[in-house]
Amino acid sequence: MSKVSRIIPILENFLFFWLGLALVLSLAGDRLEIPAFLQVLGRTHPLLLHFPIVLLLMAVGFLWVSDEKLKKIGAQILLFGANLTGITVVAGLILANEDYDGDALVWHQWLGVGSLLLSVLIYFFREKSSLFLRTTSATLAVSIILTGHFGANLTHGDDFLLAPIRSEEIELVTLEEAELFEHLVQPILESKCIACHKEGKIKGELRMDQLAGLQKGGKNGPFVIPGDLDKSLLIQRINLPMEEKEHMPPKNKAQLTEEEIEILELWVAAGASFDQKVSDLTAEEPLFQLASNKFTTQKSYGFEPAAESDIQDLNNFFRKVNPVFPGSPALEVAYYGISTFDPASLKDLKKVSEQVVRINLNRMPLADVDLGFLGDFPNLEELQLNTTGISPNQLSSLEKLRNLRNLALSGNQFKSEAVATLAKLKQVKRLFLWNSGLNQTDQEALRKALPETKIDFGFDGKGVIYALNAPKIDFETGLFRDSSQLIITHPIRTAEIRYTLNGSDPDSVSSPVYSGPIWIKKTAQIRTKAFAKDWIGSPTAYALVFREGIKPKSYKLAFEPHTRYAANGATTLFDGVKGKTNHTSGEWLGFTDTALEIELYLDEKSSPQTLDLSLLLNESAYIFPPESVEIWTGNQAGWQKMPETPTLSSTKLEEVRFGVLSYDLPKSEFDKLKIRLKPISKLPSWHPGAGAKGWVFVDEIILN
Amino acid sequence: MEKELLEQGLNHNRRKFLSRLSLGIGSVALGSLLIPDLFTGKQEAEDGLMRALPHFAPKAKRIIYLFQNGAPSQLETFDYKPLLTKNFGQELPDSIRAGQRLTGMTAGQSSFPLVGSYFGFNQYGESRAWISSLFPHISSVVDDLLIVKSMHTEAINHDPALTFFQTGAQVGNRPSMGSWLSYGLGSENANLPAFCVLLSRGKGNGQGVYSKLWSNGFLDATHQGVQFSNSEDPVLYLKDPNGMSRDQRRKMIDQIAALNEINYQEFNDPQITAKVQQYEMAYRMQTAVPEITDTSKEPDSIIKLYGPDCLVPGTYAANCLLARKLSENGVRFVQLYHQGWDAHDNLPNQMIGQAKDVDQATAGLITDLKQRGLLDETLIIWGGEFGRTNYCQGKIQPENYGRDHHPRAFSIFMAGGGVKSGMVYGETDDFGYNITENPVHVHDFQATVMHLMGIDHEKLTYKHLGRRYRLTDVHGKVVKDLIA
Repeated sequence: MSKVSRIIPILENFLFFWLGLALVLSLAGDRLEIPAFLQVLGRTHPLLLHFPIVLLLMAVGFLWVSDEKLKKIGAQILLFGANLTGITVVAGLILANEDYDGDALVWHQWLGVGSLLLSVLIYFFREKSSLFLRTTSATLAVSIILTGHFGANLTHGDDFLLAPIRSEEIELVTLEEAELFEHLVQPILESKCIACHKEGKIKGELRMDQLAGLQKGGKNGPFVIPGDLDKSLLIQRINLPMEEKEHMPPKNKAQLTEEEIEILELWVAAGASFDQKVSDLTAEEPLFQLASNKFTTQKSYGFEPAAESDIQDLNNFFRKVNPVFPGSPALEVAYYGISTFDPASLKDLKKVSEQVVRINLNRMPLADVDLGFLGDFPNLEELQLNTTGISPNQLSSLEKLRNLRNLALSGNQFKSEAVATLAKLKQVKRLFLWNSGLNQTDQEALRKALPETKIDFGFDGKGVIYALNAPKIDFETGLFRDSSQLIITHPIRTAEIRYTLNGSDPDSVSSPVYSGPIWIKKTAQIRTKAFAKDWIGSPTAYALVFREGIKPKSYKLAFEPHTRYAANGATTLFDGVKGKTNHTSGEWLGFTDTALEIELYLDEKSSPQTLDLSLLLNESAYIFPPESVEIWTGNQAGWQKMPETPTLSSTKLEEVRFGVLSYDLPKSEFDKLKIRLKPISKLPSWHPGAGAKGWVFVDEIILN
Repeated sequence: MEKELLEQGLNHNRRKFLSRLSLGIGSVALGSLLIPDLFTGKQEAEDGLMRALPHFAPKAKRIIYLFQNGAPSQLETFDYKPLLTKNFGQELPDSIRAGQRLTGMTAGQSSFPLVGSYFGFNQYGESRAWISSLFPHISSVVDDLLIVKSMHTEAINHDPALTFFQTGAQVGNRPSMGSWLSYGLGSENANLPAFCVLLSRGKGNGQGVYSKLWSNGFLDATHQGVQFSNSEDPVLYLKDPNGMSRDQRRKMIDQIAALNEINYQEFNDPQITAKVQQYEMAYRMQTAVPEITDTSKEPDSIIKLYGPDCLVPGTYAANCLLARKLSENGVRFVQLYHQGWDAHDNLPNQMIGQAKDVDQATAGLITDLKQRGLLDETLIIWGGEFGRTNYCQGKIQPENYGRDHHPRAFSIFMAGGGVKSGMVYGETDDFGYNITENPVHVHDFQATVMHLMGIDHEKLTYKHLGRRYRLTDVHGKVVKDLIA
């Protein structure tokens, strides 16, 4: 056996190997992840492909003839050729995962795989019949040529082959240059109408391939009547129902899309001009908005994208470097994290200095950092340096940045000298200088020096006077045994807090100034207000704290409280637990159908002098002060009614709060008390529930 | 020669052919090694993500959504309807109501008397937009606002309407808007969550908010909204425990990550990876968050701008200030909720309180972002889940009345972030009941917001339980008229 005949079975085996590999690679599509070393193999595809083309075409030639000897040689060439096809196809499939896409790729790929399959089939079944051999090998030849053609289109562009004999130009039009007719309307006419309305085929005597024809109109009248949708034939025809003979474009031709119809209508409505520019329209006009979607407004950059690996290296937890949108060569940079900021890391950006268009260094401490490097970003458009502690002399390098449009310098304390530096930045369109230490004169000077620049000096709060918010009163418990600590705070630390403990409203002159926790030893109403320069005094904050009193020996309620607000019955009133501002908290007794009527039996020696009734008030929830209060003191001689027992009154809906009814008890001897609080029987007319019954809520009865 | 012929024949018998085929199968196996995710669906999701991303620079980078929970009345804020005042107490014509369903709260009412705004209206700014006297501060920034008076929704009760606004569906379990954006765009600042949630509550009649509103749904758990506490410490347990140094903390997190990695190798549960990432983020948040939540360095003018309540933790004003600080630190989506707008009765009084809570701070936030040059890249949205009826619920008095839920027309406003400014969009009829011009459905609103962030709402999908989901379900049209 010769060397050649030994190699043949191996090569035959390999054919199946290539087929399998080609099959799986092409089915996997773009889900492949190709390691770098295989990418190199992929890139040999343009080199390898020439061998199979030559070998397979040669083999086809040999197989086509009837000479058996030549056929045998042809078969061996085919075997070599098919193997090389296999390598080429596999390499091609790997290469396809790089930046290729589109119809040409699909055709090229499947024709290539097809050619491989075909050549393997021909090789193994070449003995079947000469008809089979001839047809298949002819197909193979065609397939190879087509594969080659699509491959060439991939590398050289779609029109490569015929480009010299074609003369079409496709230009990218920007919104600024776009013409209404030429760039919006005409393309529609060209693609959908002109085939039947042009020289040589002037249907309805309307020519659309020249302006004169459009202006002249057709046999049924003018093409359009500017501004009149109803009378314009163009608009009439395109809007006729499909079944109508007159409907344009005719039934079997490509129809206008909704958007195309809209464009044509809007064009006619806007006056059907042949020479108006899109940019002449106002931004509100729908036609402008449609157009603005069609034409590019995107700035194109003249620089190459940065290396992907460079961008990746620059990204970490504290610095974000990203394209402004996926696929854009322009980059934006942002720094985060004050405590982790390392000024030296700014130098890393040098690698991408050409591509960076936006830098956000807001809040980074840059006070003593050399910012000269900023001058090295020739394409920088936006720079944010808010609250970085910089001084104007650090900004001298910005003058070089011809493309700088937006500059944010808010929150940096500049002095008047800054005006001279900033005045040089004529290229900047928008400048942000809130809280930057520039006084009125400086601001005027800068405005004058930069007439083209929109400068925002922001809100300085000068001359604006608002009311402070109320201080906050904190205490541990609203009902204390011996003493209680009150802490008053205000969010604005410089605010002065004044307070009273006798229920009167504090003022900014005579009321005591709060300087630390207050110790309260008896029942007190705390009222407090905050005052500060440049502010109106705050509303009053109010709190009630009770000192626990004398416990009665026993007590009994005449009527049960309402079942929903029964808490623990009468004991609730003497349990020393101050209720929260929520009547459903289970710390309050609620009465509506019946009065709160209670008899207290006291120790003989206790002889209390004051009585406090702790109430909840919440008009929105129908919780009012009692309509009337009646108090009797009693001893063996019987009950004695106290003459004057005023109650509180409500005049409007207020927020939920505590209330207290305090009475001085008579000096005379008594050992029992009777108290009767009658809930309001008809809510007043100003209340949304006017006429309905009100409620009384009490959580504690305190004797002292 | 004979031998060779014989061999040739042997070479081509069926058995040989089949055995050669096996070689082909071997190469199939070899090739499949190059496809790491052959048996998982991961790649598809990533491809979907890339398809949804823009080929143009997005208008907005970040969103601050000031959700007014409970549904503020459009008729007392932005939709001026003098007819309702003129026809006070008259019956709502059936031709206007046109069979609109009612909630159980007014369905039993025998009469639907019209009631006009207790508050006067005025025109402001260059746009001459009508705004009620409830919002003196918001009126002063009217030329930065885009007021949409023609919002409409499908739900008529709070929870479904709120869920619909946030997740695009009335039932729970779908990802929230912030989660979708976190998924689509990722975080700008790797040291903070991409989606933060801040809650506050006014004194008006309130409706609850639930964590399902900021749920990641079926998306990865890292896209969940992180709720900040409305106390002095917005993020609890950030400090290292006593006696533990930063180095020790680092070591502990590394060790836990290593243990989790072992578990992940065994079970392949993506929740484990999410957990590891969350520990890692928590570690970095330990330094990032205190820098942000510290308001002590804010100058006086800022306190005046937002109002003094901005220093009281848990208030709407404080949340607005915090929202600015989070947003300028690269948080993609800050979601505020201010509760208490559900004024079924005592509406004028309740609205005075609610408006006082939000008016100054909202306007302050807009001005503050503007003076820092950040308003252009930050989209602010203010609005509730639906509107309120033009007829009175309960007893009717000129100065005291209530309004029920109304999904057919309501107003919201936006500012910055690539929306038109100084514009009023959409119109309602003279009764303020139906939209007469340019309706904007909730899905349209969501599609538009996604568009502003540079995302095609139809392409940002996630496959879950056998179908692809998106924020706008199968609806939504970008309202181009709103975009600058």
